[in-house]
Amino acid sequence: MVKWLTIIMITAFSFAASAQKKAVISSGKMVVVSSGSYLPFFVTQNNKTLPVPAFQMDETAVTNAEYLEFVKANPQWRRSKVYRLFADTNYLRHWKSDLSINGTKKDIDNSPVVNVSWFAAEAYAKWKNKRLPTIAEWELAAKGTPKNIGRKSLTDYILDWYTKPNLAKLPHVKSTYQNQYGLYDMNGLIWEWTFNFNSFIGSRDSRGNNEDELKNFCAGGALNVADKSDYATFLRFSFRGSLKGNYCISGLGFRCAKDL
Amino acid sequence: MLQKSKVLRFRHPGLFYLALFISLTFFASCKTGSGNDNAEAKIDTVLTGTVTAELTNAPNVPKPLTYTSPKKVMVQLETIEKVMPISDSSTYTFWTFGGHVPGNFIRVRQGDLVDVTLKNSPDSKMSHSIDLHAVIGPDGGADATSTAPGQTTHFQFRALHPGLFVYHCATGPVPLHIANGMYGLILVEPQGGMPKVDREYYLMQGDFYTKGKYDAKGLQDFDEDKALAENPDYVLFNGRVRSTTGPNALPAKVGETVRLYVGNGGPNLVSSFHAIGQIFTKVYTEAGSEINRDVQTTLIPSGGATIVEMKMQVPEVINLVDHSIFRAFNKGAIAQIKVTGDENPSLYKKLK
Repeated sequence: MVKWLTIIMITAFSFAASAQKKAVISSGKMVVVSSGSYLPFFVTQNNKTLPVPAFQMDETAVTNAEYLEFVKANPQWRRSKVYRLFADTNYLRHWKSDLSINGTKKDIDNSPVVNVSWFAAEAYAKWKNKRLPTIAEWELAAKGTPKNIGRKSLTDYILDWYTKPNLAKLPHVKSTYQNQYGLYDMNGLIWEWTFNFNSFIGSRDSRGNNEDELKNFCAGGALNVADKSDYATFLRFSFRGSLKGNYCISGLGFRCAKDL
Repeated sequence: MLQKSKVLRFRHPGLFYLALFISLTFFASCKTGSGNDNAEAKIDTVLTGTVTAELTNAPNVPKPLTYTSPKKVMVQLETIEKVMPISDSSTYTFWTFGGHVPGNFIRVRQGDLVDVTLKNSPDSKMSHSIDLHAVIGPDGGADATSTAPGQTTHFQFRALHPGLFVYHCATGPVPLHIANGMYGLILVEPQGGMPKVDREYYLMQGDFYTKGKYDAKGLQDFDEDKALAENPDYVLFNGRVRSTTGPNALPAKVGETVRLYVGNGGPNLVSSFHAIGQIFTKVYTEAGSEINRDVQTTLIPSGGATIVEMKMQVPEVINLVDHSIFRAFNKGAIAQIKVTGDENPSLYKKLK
């Protein structure tokens, strides 16, 4: 009798423990990024170092499981119902159905949600009484000193990730490094939406408007990049510059921010 | 003029013949050998239909074009990021047009309206674009083709100038995209077409920079420091050590004229292109409209191309090299043409 009780208790405990572990992996917890300044990647006469006030940021990217709660509560954001204007045909294409991530498998529950558009990310953030971080906030947070990445520099680590092909299945959040702010996976898992993802691009019509020409991120116009050898950041800005708000991309997700 | 001649004919036959001679000379001089007067096609020439471009992978070249009036040519390219072998022991994450390095060879005709659709594979991590050196327009087309993964972009250009032009990805940072293999060639045939030869082949040189040494084991990372110092580990034709040697050598026969379309994607090095055991009877210097003859070694600028022709006269293996010779010996810059056929002892004979 005692033997059976012990077995039952151990089983129950391990269930509880594993459930607890899942909660720890994606807790929706936010950390504080202390105030700092951000030197824009593209420097023009108007742009100087931007002061960035302290703000809160999600410890990890938003996960598939968290996003599932969002679409359960907001049917208009389910895959079969979403307005094409707000999300293109790739929206949540890695999910099994409207309300099923991967059927009975839990393997990507705690991986970052991807194939979500900027509009979808914005809607999620609002639902959580949060917002998307600005480029300045995101870049400040991402430059936080990593705690043990096993590479000679963060740029090296990032470039290494960028130049490897996409993985078939995304690892779960917190599977790469943590930085000085307590943020996980700022680099190494996914690209992340920001509130102003392409505000650095000037008008491509350069009729008599030299300022906008200089702002043109296009590679030939790399004249005004602060650090031309920072290929990692260059790639990130080029990626942002190619985006439109309704794009859903298999390597692009998001995390939220909030004022203090 | 004719009426004047009629009058002159009766009074001054000498003057008439002088006038006739002068006018004939004037018209004859319009057709010069280099074809410079025909160098630019008219942009308002009416297109006579739509065709889809035949795209090939190196070392093959699309068949010579048979149409003789400008057409709308549909070109569809896809950018694909892919791990492939770069040497016997090393692999590398290449970024490509069409899944190969170099990218597809595109063949159009002077005066064509080229309609380019660029698709970026949904599995790509990066955005990509295209700059074709045959384009007169913002960034050679890159301004219109900044393409996120899974997306498609579209633009058109009129190919007014003949020549063999490099195309490459122009998404920032451009050097990295090129260093990873994103380049190819587009041939704009002159209005009369390229003169006929027996065989045409496609080669493209590129330099590659890896953290590990030449032929180190396993997946190699890109090395930015070496790239900045212009110190490559690999200098290759068609993106792989031994891509075009031994069993992959380009076949040819004694008596044939072979034309090579050779590009240099760089990103850094200029090529001193030489055929060991042969002489280039014709070189379209820098793939422009001027023809040089009887050249041993020709320069291919980084981001440029050349067109060379040779007459196969003896059975031999022709080693095509970058004659900055350490690159050929130690970094992989060799391709081969295997020539079969009868010996020609009056041209070349080994004596005991």
